[in-house]
Amino acid sequence: MKKIFAVIFVLFFTVGTYAQQSPGKDHAKLHINCVSCHTCGLPTKDEPCWVACPREKMITVYLKAEQTDELVIIDQANERFGPVYFSHRIHAQMSVMLGGCGNCHHHNTLEQILKCSKCHEPSRQRENIAILDLKGAYHRQCMECHREWSHETGCKSCHIPISEVKGSHKEESKKQLAGKVHPPVTEPTKIVYETNYEKGKFVTYYHDDHVKNFKLNCIDCHAQESCTKCHDVNNPSSDKLKLVKEKKSLEDHHKKCFSCHAKDDCAKCHLDKQVEQFNHEKRTGWALKKHHINLSCINCHGSKRPYQKLNNQCVSCHKNWKKETFKHYVTGLRLTEPHSELGCEDCHAGNDYSVKPGCNGCHENFVYPKQKPGILVGK
Amino acid sequence: MSGKSRRDFLKKSVAIGSVATGLSASTAKAGPKNILSEDRMGVLVDTTACVGCRNCEWACKDAHNLPAGNLDSYEDRKILETKRRPDQTALTVVNEYPHGKNSNLPVDVKVQCMHCDHPACVSACIVGAFSKQENGSVIWDTDMCIGCRYCMAACPFQIPAFEYDKAINPLIMKCDFCFNRTKDGKLPACVNICPVEALTCGPRHELIKIARNRIKRNPNRYVNHILGEYEVGGTSWMYLASKEFKELDFPDLGKNPAPGVSESIQHGIFAYFVPPVSLYALLGGIMWITKRRKELEEEEKI
Repeated sequence: MKKIFAVIFVLFFTVGTYAQQSPGKDHAKLHINCVSCHTCGLPTKDEPCWVACPREKMITVYLKAEQTDELVIIDQANERFGPVYFSHRIHAQMSVMLGGCGNCHHHNTLEQILKCSKCHEPSRQRENIAILDLKGAYHRQCMECHREWSHETGCKSCHIPISEVKGSHKEESKKQLAGKVHPPVTEPTKIVYETNYEKGKFVTYYHDDHVKNFKLNCIDCHAQESCTKCHDVNNPSSDKLKLVKEKKSLEDHHKKCFSCHAKDDCAKCHLDKQVEQFNHEKRTGWALKKHHINLSCINCHGSKRPYQKLNNQCVSCHKNWKKETFKHYVTGLRLTEPHSELGCEDCHAGNDYSVKPGCNGCHENFVYPKQKPGILVGK
Repeated sequence: MSGKSRRDFLKKSVAIGSVATGLSASTAKAGPKNILSEDRMGVLVDTTACVGCRNCEWACKDAHNLPAGNLDSYEDRKILETKRRPDQTALTVVNEYPHGKNSNLPVDVKVQCMHCDHPACVSACIVGAFSKQENGSVIWDTDMCIGCRYCMAACPFQIPAFEYDKAINPLIMKCDFCFNRTKDGKLPACVNICPVEALTCGPRHELIKIARNRIKRNPNRYVNHILGEYEVGGTSWMYLASKEFKELDFPDLGKNPAPGVSESIQHGIFAYFVPPVSLYALLGGIMWITKRRKELEEEEKI
């Protein structure tokens, strides 16, 4: 009887663990293309027919570095070494420009973060040799940066020899890592490149414009930049950031820009003088306020380049706008009773909303915004 | 090492002799092994992943009962400043080269026997001590080896080494694909220890697929070339790299099997009994001329 219970317990446990690691029972109903994970049309538990490690387009788990565990203990059975005390959070902070979470968690399905051992088998002698084994996978993750960073490949730079393992390591590591952060990476606002291009020597690049206007994440441009991008690899203990510029080919220099500016000609960026930051009001005479400032250019101007000039008529963009359903309070001003009955043109002469509304139709000596036809509300 | 021994060699010689003298050969050998079987094993060395820790060097020595020293002592990277070759004391070595494309990492290259599909050493060995096994490894029988070192001269990768320093019973030494481990179902020692799995051991055809796939997925990481896929008719050990292989001291060998040249010359000369026939013809000619001259001299005397 005891044996039967034991078998049931083991079965229950194994099934339980499997379910926990699976991407979710009904994930087939989600909007994911099956072929992004499976090679066959009808994957089963026994034959999941995984595609070989897609590193791109698979990442669905994005946590902020601060939300992650400070310390992760990697404790795989090993006769030579004790567990590795991995400072996860600080590594997560450092990896912002190195592919982000996906640099390590490269095969995440929705919801749960998969364990490495889900795909990477612990034994080197295995059926599917196309996917690295667990030892190889772990070491490659660490070594690819660490050997570039410190030129060290010695086991002891991460592992504690089994003879030196103490019970207090966990507490010591926790203490050591508590509150330890990578200083925030400061974003430049403007970078001026002085190039060799004769027809236009200067390329003025406004970093924050690109980030804000085009809603770019760090990794959209800084996808594979390791520590050595900023730190002096030959002197890693130095706090100073390196000033030596990398030697890059012409192609590499333009690669990042070309991912969006492929169709633009040289003069788009290369000019004979520095250019001022783009200012919608200065350039077009129409200031972007509260709502519109948060939109990216293509929301109004469409993706066709060069951008066409729009008129000031709201309806030219807000095509579905109807007077009957319009609620004035979205503008931040809730109209009081008599005013809400009026037509738009009664205050906004000629339906021109770019100029101040007038009160002269009904009131004498009333000036907006000194006198308001309603109450200011938050938007 | 292999099933062969000096006794087998003598038996074979007797058998061949008996066939030649018209006696029946009851001990005739079975047909040749399927040395180029579909499932023959190989190893894919990804030099872009290798970190140059040299654990493979230690494991190799340890598995072959060579003085290996302490594994910790292999962490000293100074040894990588000089280029080394595999020899009788180290059957595999790792060399370091300046960085390849898109990286400032050095390129570390493990060197050992390539275990050719058409091995020149097997062709050159005059006592038949060398053989290509069905699992892909090229091994040799130390009992049969007479120490002629033809294998060393024949090898296009200059791999076999000789224990010159040993006065008594010096042996040919080279990587044997850990034949003693693989026959028991274990992985080669170097493959087993590699921390980053830069060495992938598996069926050769599968490794080629994996290698192609890696190049396809990471065109920036690799040059589009699998060394050993076609070189000298294909080898069991194959390489991926981030820079041209000639910059990593690999010889530019072409696609023809290495024994092809030597064997065609040798076989060409000996075809259709040309050497014995021409030798006897020459000797016969000399005999005839001498005889003729004597006859003339005697005629003159008369």
